[in-house]
Amino acid sequence: MNAKLKETLLNPIFKGNPITVLVLGICSSLAVTVTLKGALVMALSVIVVCGISSLILSLLRNTIPGRVRIIVQLVVVAMMVILVDQILKSFEATYAIDKQLSVYIGLIITNCIVMGRIEAFALGNKPWPSFLDGIANGAGYGLILLIVAFFRELLGSGTLFGVDILNWMGYVPNNLVILPPFALILLGCIVWVQRSIQKDLQE
Amino acid sequence: MNTNNNLYTVIYTTLIVVVVAAVLAFVSQSLKGRQEANEKADTISQMMTAAQFGTKADFQKMGNAAVLEKYAAEIAEAYTVNAEGERVADLPLDKVCSPKELKRQNYNIKGGQNATGAAELPVFVFKDGTTVVPVYGAGLWGPVWGYIAFEKDSNVIKGAYFDHESETAGLGARIKDDPAFQAEFQGERAAFGESPVFAIVKGGSPKNADGTEVVDNRIDAITGATMTSQGLEQAINTWFSAYARFFQGAAPAEACCENACCDSTCVKAPCDSTCAKALCDSACAKPACDSTCAPRCGGKPCGHPCNPQIAAEE
Repeated sequence: MNAKLKETLLNPIFKGNPITVLVLGICSSLAVTVTLKGALVMALSVIVVCGISSLILSLLRNTIPGRVRIIVQLVVVAMMVILVDQILKSFEATYAIDKQLSVYIGLIITNCIVMGRIEAFALGNKPWPSFLDGIANGAGYGLILLIVAFFRELLGSGTLFGVDILNWMGYVPNNLVILPPFALILLGCIVWVQRSIQKDLQE
Repeated sequence: MNTNNNLYTVIYTTLIVVVVAAVLAFVSQSLKGRQEANEKADTISQMMTAAQFGTKADFQKMGNAAVLEKYAAEIAEAYTVNAEGERVADLPLDKVCSPKELKRQNYNIKGGQNATGAAELPVFVFKDGTTVVPVYGAGLWGPVWGYIAFEKDSNVIKGAYFDHESETAGLGARIKDDPAFQAEFQGERAAFGESPVFAIVKGGSPKNADGTEVVDNRIDAITGATMTSQGLEQAINTWFSAYARFFQGAAPAEACCENACCDSTCVKAPCDSTCAKALCDSACAKPACDSTCAPRCGGKPCGHPCNPQIAAEE
């Protein structure tokens, strides 16, 4: 794998993370991070939607009429989102989690990361790098989701992936952590940590 | 190629939409069976949770097949009743009511332009006598529904489980996620025939000096979720009112008045001259007359005999 592809793959994970640097996808990261399981399913869904839509649109990029390109992007992303939702609903293991995430799976389409990467990258690059870019941005989003969900589930429910970690020793779950504002506080802390490591982001 | 050509643009977008629609239709059709099986197992586990056969988390761990098996082993009978409390039809024991079906019956209970006919309300009876009935109504953001289980032949609530489509997580969603809220229903009594049948209010029932509840058809509402609590309360009251005659038994609680119009339950019941006039009137107002009686009922005073026998003698 050459250096440029590697850069495409690794940049969105940390240096150009879609949530902490581009500040995209904040809404859903507040909503679905109450439990690790929910965050994991959401992260995987976004990776799949982002990767495959980027791939499809990159393949079509030379045929898409410029004036309606946003509509075409929207149709393809919407199709992917519905497919993911339908598939999650069909399996016993994921049915309950799909029900818990309810509208947020459908709202992946409104996640600016997906459309943003297609517009910025997939329409101007070959299919393979576009696919990797989609996957990597989904993963960068998912990583932050999992970090936030780790703290929220641990402090808010005393569990991790539903397994009791703190409750047995008499921990009283903190209800503030369950509410969306706490996710914003955590996100702020993550941005803080990242900016103190990555000095070039400081203004 | 000039991709900005109008004709090209129209053909291109049409083609994309048709292809996407075809893919989605195909996937939706091929996954439908699996999705319905999941939904059914979910509904069954909700009913069994209400009937205190286990917790929702237990059933989720069991998997679909085990849930269906346990349900088949425990269910005794399932049937529908009408608003008069009469049994209308038997339901197959492997059938449950989807939220969609409950929505239809909800319209039927309320009447109006969306009603498709007379309400046929499902009743599920387990082998230990526990009777489970559904409720359905509007929460804050979308529908709320659930199952309430009664002890054998009584109005004492054994347990409840609620579900919702899009109530606020952490607030309204607690009707589903908070076992403590659902546990509040246990031991309460639905006051069938009274108004309101059941109430979800701030603070629940006032307490006596010894800590017991003054009335036992009230529970505490959810803090921060007033609209969801009110919606659920309304759903429960609408459905319980429709089930009232079923739970009170075929005969009304009080003795029936003499010749109480053509209400079939009244004709059978022992007549008591001291019966309240109001009860008599309400029996008349109801279109319970069978078709041969109906014309005689209209316009006649309430006490007019509509019993087919008396009608024949006339």
